[in-house]
Parts: sequence; structure tokens; C-alpha cells
Amino acid sequence: MSIVAGCDVGSLTSKAVIMKNGKIIGSSIIKSKPRPKDSADAALEEALKSAGVSKNDIKYCIGTGYGREKIGFVNEVVSEIKCHGKGARWMMPSAETVIDIGGQDCKTMKIDKDGNAGRFFANDKCASGTGRFLEVMAKVLGVSIDELGKLSAKAKDPITLASTCTVWAQADVIKYINSGIPIEDIGAGINTAMAGRVAILVNAVKPEGDIFMTGGVAKNIGVLETLEKLIGKRIKRARKADPQIAGALGAALLSMEKLNGNGRNKQ
Amino acid sequence: MNVFHDAATQVQCESIAQWKKDGKPVVGYTCSYAPAEIFYAADILPYRLRGIETDGMEVGDTYFGPFICSFPKCILQLAGKGKFSFLDGAIITPGCDGMRRLDECWRKAGEDIENIVPDYFYYFDVPHKSENHGMAWYIEEIKELIKSLEAHFKVSISKEKLTAAIKEFNKGRRLLGEVENLRFQQDIVVSGTDVFAATVAGTVMPRDEYTKELKKWVTALKKRKTALNTGKHRVMLVGSISDEIDLFELIEDTGKAIIVGENLCFGIRYEGSEIKEHGDPIEALAKHYLGSSVCPRMYGKYKERLALLKERIISSQAEGVIMQNIRFCDLHGAENALFERDLEAMGIPCLRVEREYGPHIDAGRMKLRINAFLERINGSSKTAKKTKSTEEMFVSA
Repeated sequence: MSIVAGCDVGSLTSKAVIMKNGKIIGSSIIKSKPRPKDSADAALEEALKSAGVSKNDIKYCIGTGYGREKIGFVNEVVSEIKCHGKGARWMMPSAETVIDIGGQDCKTMKIDKDGNAGRFFANDKCASGTGRFLEVMAKVLGVSIDELGKLSAKAKDPITLASTCTVWAQADVIKYINSGIPIEDIGAGINTAMAGRVAILVNAVKPEGDIFMTGGVAKNIGVLETLEKLIGKRIKRARKADPQIAGALGAALLSMEKLNGNGRNKQ
Repeated sequence: MNVFHDAATQVQCESIAQWKKDGKPVVGYTCSYAPAEIFYAADILPYRLRGIETDGMEVGDTYFGPFICSFPKCILQLAGKGKFSFLDGAIITPGCDGMRRLDECWRKAGEDIENIVPDYFYYFDVPHKSENHGMAWYIEEIKELIKSLEAHFKVSISKEKLTAAIKEFNKGRRLLGEVENLRFQQDIVVSGTDVFAATVAGTVMPRDEYTKELKKWVTALKKRKTALNTGKHRVMLVGSISDEIDLFELIEDTGKAIIVGENLCFGIRYEGSEIKEHGDPIEALAKHYLGSSVCPRMYGKYKERLALLKERIISSQAEGVIMQNIRFCDLHGAENALFERDLEAMGIPCLRVEREYGPHIDAGRMKLRINAFLERINGSSKTAKKTKSTEEMFVSA
């Protein structure tokens, strides 16, 4: 029984994926705890529970994400850029360009037919264009992140955020709320601002072929559709699995390759 | 090696303290376009101004504002905190606009904070073109600088002394050239971090002592047998000004890479070639410093700089190039984008990152990108081995 795992400890959420014979048999997404080790333990425990297997059944495990160096149970660690490339290609076998928006950074990359990352770009400025930006804005609006994504479709006259700085944009949003602007119009403005930041990175990598999006923000339909308009290309929707677990999935896939003796992913 | 690491990781190392104890002057300078030989000829220690050991930015931010490169801000911060109190003079050069503004900001800060502007404070202009009138202008600037140093420090800088200085500096250049050759070998016996520390040390240590130490070190290196690059990727580091050993360590501490070359303002490029030891020394200095055009501050020389970079990639057998630029560094930000476009088209993997200057700043974020880049090289080098060597890629591009 070749069971492998991947664990992605991010800044906002931690994810784990359990795979058996190339299929996902369990996964988890939890809110990250202050200590990366605790986040990894909790994410793995939940994923094991959903898969109905024990920790001893795991033959190989790769860790990734910002907290990867602190995970106690992994055999090795790999960067999340590589893991997201792998995971994206598994979820969408035709994907050639990947956009990954995580809690505190945003990356765009080209991948080859095996999901190996080629050229990539990552946000270097600040938290704008990341999941943290949306989280802060949703909190100010008093809606969930899912609800925030759906506001774009209901908007009649979206606002424009003057600043890309998360803190200043937050002040802008509060000003709009106090002026009585409908929440849908503010939400749409937030989604557009987010998409605008991401579009810069997408254009920098010069997207080719099918584009696929991973990370929690891929589930925000408002950002996704606005981004499609801005880059003038369609972004493929995830159907095989939750795009938020792509990093952990990629880590599990790399674990599987390692177990099967595929040297391609040797570090 | 410790003497170089000590000099490279401290604002004021032991050798400088000793120089001061002997009652001799130290003059700081900001740019690789300021000929250090002139100071040596006057028995003044030329000290390349650093930004390390900065632990705040209240002075730098006050006079520069937030939207500018953090390197000159760090210099001003250190000046404002009295860390450069050992300086008898400072020469500001317009290496870029940020550095040019250091002249104004330092003077202005000096109006508010006592004793932070050295007695001798001089603006040494450098043209942006090296042909015809540019070269003539630069020669005039050198002559003016000499006159000014002679008047302030009551010294005489004769042509003979300048020639002797050129000869002494050339000794170091030849030795660093030997170090470069060692890095070009299949088995590399010296880390990029150590080479960079040795190069940075050369910009702050008294030159005679430096040459002596460098000779000892190079002799020892030649006897080394153990290769440090087994299982590691050979990478180059280029871009904005950096005197940070931490940055080299960050890359080499991954255990997956060794730095085989750099194209940085403090790096070996500045010592790359020897200066003519015959004829008029001022003309020889001008030709070397202004004529080399290794910095993107020089107009119309992109092709030459790309050719130089390609040459170094080939000789060092670099598998990838890490391009960093300090936030708001327009010169390297733009140049890195062009380098990346041209080198990627030739099949050389490039990583372009923007960062803040300063100890340990952005370390986590940088580490993520560097690791992902090394993983990319790992994949592409396996494919490349089946097809072409680095040199073949350039030839066919």
C-alpha cells in the first residue's frame, strides 16, 4: 500500500493531502496556528482522519509553504512554487501557466508537461494582491471571503480604490461604508483592485496555453472573473480538487515520485 | 580569511583603527568610479562607505524620504549615528541619483545634528558618457579632486606617486584575477561568500596590508584540494549595490548552490582589469574607471555590459543568474529586466528579485524565491545536459 502525504503550512491556512496509488484519499484545510509545527500536526491529523489511515501508513511526506522548515514529520522540504506547479498540472493536465495567490504572496509561473516550474514571478512590493488583502477587506465589510467574491456580480457602480496599500485601502473602504455606498459596489471595487495587482504579475510571465489558478483566492469568483477581463484570457476552473490544496497536493505528488524512485524531483 | 571577514562585516575594522592611531587620515567615498589610487598616493586611507550595521532608519528617512533606495539612506543613518566619526573626509559621487542626493541630505542633516559632516566634504562629479568630451571632463574632475585634496590635507600628489599607487593596486587586481581563475575550474575550492568578503575588504583596508593578506590567502587557496561545489549548482549574483556578506550566505547556505561570479558594485568587477602603469597616470586612471562602463549608470553601453556578463557566465560555467535590485533602484531594475529577457532567450535561467537593502531584511521571502529558482535549475540543467552546454547556447542564440 503506497500511501504518501504532502503538507503545506501557509501564513493563513495549512493544508495536508493524503494520496494512495495516485488518488487523493484525504485532505484538510485549517487556519494556521501561531507555531508552524502545530499547524502541520493539526492539518495532517485531520487529513489522516478523513482518509481513514494512520501516520504510520505514510511512506513518504514532503513539506512546503512558509512554515516548511519547522514541520517535524516530513522526509524533506520543497518550495511551494514547485509544489503548486505540480499540483496545478495534476488538477488541470493542460495547464501551462499557473497563478497562485496565497495568504501573503502571489506568484505566477510557467510549467512544463510534468508540472515543473520554469520562469516565475512573485509579488515583491507588499501585501496587496494577496489573500491577506482580501481577508482584511472582508473583515472591514463584515462578510466572509466567499461572500466577498460574490459581491462583484451584484454591483451596479463599483468603487475604485485609490491606493494599493492594504492599510490605506482599508481606510478608503471605511470611508465608502460611512458614505453609505452599497456594500456590493465596495466589494466589487476590492475584487477589482486585487485582480489588478495580480494581472501585473500574470502579464510579466507572458501567459501561454491554458491558465490555471491555485490557492484560496482561486475560489473568489469576483477576482477570477475580473482577472480574466484584465488579462483578456480565460482561466480554467478547478474541478478535480479544491484549488486551495494545490501546494499540499503537489508535495504529495512529489512524495509519490520519490517513493517510486523518479529522480526528476531529487533535491 | 578572518581578516577579510572582519573587514567586510564591520563598519570600522581593526586595521582602520590602527591607521587612525598612527595619525593618518581616512576619506570615505561612495562609488566605484572614484579612483582610490589618488588617496593612496596622498597616504590617505580610501574607505568605501558602507551601509551595514544599520539598526534603524530615523535619520535616513527624515532627510531622504521613503521613496528612494535604502543603501544611501543607510550611509546617512550611520553618519547620523556617529558611526563614521573616524572619517576625516568624504567624497560623494553621482553613481546614481540616490547617491547624488546623499551629498545634499548629508549636508542638510549636518545642520541639525552636530559633527556628522567630516571637515573635508567634496562632490566628485562623474559624467555618464565615456567618449570624447565625457573623458576630458572626467580627467578635469580628477585634476580638481587632486588639487582639493592637496590643499586640504597639505599633501603633494605627484605623477610618480600616482604611478606607484597604480602599481600597488594592480598587484591586488592580479591576485583577485587568480582567485577568479580558481572559481572557473570544474572543482571550486573557495566559496562565493569568502571571495566577496575578500573583495569588500579591499575597499576598506589599507592597501599594502590588503595586498599582503591577499597574497597569503591566494597561496593557501591554491593548495586546497577539496571541492566545495559537489552536488551544487553554479550561480552568478548580479544587480544593485551590495556589500552584504549575508546575501551571499543566504544563497550558499541553502546547500544547493555556490556563487561562481558576481557583477556587483562591491564585487570583483571593479577590480576586473589592470590599469596601465606607463604614461600619464591620470589618463590611465580615467580610462580604467570611466572607460570600463560596467555600471548601468553609463549611457549607451548595454550591449557591452551584456557581452561582459555573457563572457563571465561562460568562463564560470554558471547555470543560472540571480538578479537582485534594491527597491527604487531604477538603474538595476531596468537593466535586470533587459538582462533577463536576453539571457532567458539564450536558455540561461534567471531569477529577478526586488528587495530592501540591509542586514537580514527580506531573508524569508528571498529564501523562498532562491530555493524555487535552484529547483528550476535542477530541472533545466538535467535537460540541458542532454542537449547543449552553456557556451553552445550562446553561440546558437
